[in-house]
Amino acid sequence: MNWISNLFSRYWRNFHFAAILILTIILMVNNPAINGLVSQVTVSVFNYPFFIVKNFFDGLVNVDRRNEQLQEALVQASVRISMLEEARLENERLRAVLGFEPPVGYSLIPAKVISVGGDKMPTAVVINRGLKDSLYINQPIINQEGLIGRIIAVSNDYASVQLLTDPTSRVAARVEESREMGIVKYSIVEGMVLDNFPIQGTIAPGNIIVSSGLGGIYPPGLKVGTVVQVVYPEEEPFCEVRLTPAVNFNSLEELFILKLNGL
Amino acid sequence: MKFIPFFLYLLLIGMHQVIWREMTSIYGASINLPALIVLAVALYKSELAAVWFGFVVGIVLAVNPGMLGWQALALALLGLLAYHAREKLNLESLYTKLLLVFAGILLHNISASIIQAGLKFYQLWLNILTGSIYTAVIALIFFLFKDGIITVKKIKSIF
Repeated sequence: MNWISNLFSRYWRNFHFAAILILTIILMVNNPAINGLVSQVTVSVFNYPFFIVKNFFDGLVNVDRRNEQLQEALVQASVRISMLEEARLENERLRAVLGFEPPVGYSLIPAKVISVGGDKMPTAVVINRGLKDSLYINQPIINQEGLIGRIIAVSNDYASVQLLTDPTSRVAARVEESREMGIVKYSIVEGMVLDNFPIQGTIAPGNIIVSSGLGGIYPPGLKVGTVVQVVYPEEEPFCEVRLTPAVNFNSLEELFILKLNGL
Repeated sequence: MKFIPFFLYLLLIGMHQVIWREMTSIYGASINLPALIVLAVALYKSELAAVWFGFVVGIVLAVNPGMLGWQALALALLGLLAYHAREKLNLESLYTKLLLVFAGILLHNISASIIQAGLKFYQLWLNILTGSIYTAVIALIFFLFKDGIITVKKIKSIF
């Protein structure tokens, strides 16, 4: 046994080289079972853990990129939804005016509000129609709810409209049921009122007030407002009649210009 | 216990192959870290350690099971050659060490190209030579730190 030990220690270096050479030759023969097993072991020990780490970070990068894409898509979708919602509301408004008939002898010119003027309450608007549409001063403006006002200035492409909420605006009006007359005006303090209505007149809350047609500007029968309160002051010839406007002046968008047929 | 550093070198090589190799590659020229570590082992450890380590790195490196033996042989021979070059030459100088590493890397890049796909002339310029220079630069940084020419203390003193 001693000679084996001596041989081993003397040729120790050569044994190593021989072992490496034999192992190399075995691997070069390319036995699928041996090479496959060796390859599988080395990959699973030295490569696989790092593949997991790499895939994890690649996944994070992809998540970040996907997140950016989704954020962008979300913004686009939000804009699209709000545009569709706006279109839906416009559709509803236009459907509401679809069956709207003008007073006899008049035709309707549709218009859009492009700007609103006024301090606490809208008192004037600018519409996208003008001289090129044959508009002229004092043309009545209405929508499906009732009377809105009249044109007070016209340029080639635009026209200014004085609303009934303007304190200088006056409308000759009457109670729809009793046919008794007064003048509709508006003030910031009192709101819309029916002025000059005699104390002996027949009027009650809920009565509809319409234009009388006597002023020469507005045709008769256009709804102006509804009576909400009637006060009979002592020793006064006229009563105080408060009205709710027929039109919501804060939400004007589409409106119509009344055009006298034959003009 | 004495095998632990070698095992860590192998893990470093695995990590490089999977994660860093592509990230640090510049126009197809990549760092040949496995050959660099085998050469470093040959320069600083024993002959048998260099040969065995080269052999095992060759096995770890080979993606294709059919090429296991050839890759193992190439890196084992590289370790052996580098060790004997170290013994025969005066490798105290930084530049001779660097030259040895560059030659070794170039040799391994050529042999790896022949083993994997057959050497093509354009590869010599495109990947092999540029990859060898790239790896030599990394080796230079390694030797500068290893020989104490650059230290963390010196770097801190600059700022």
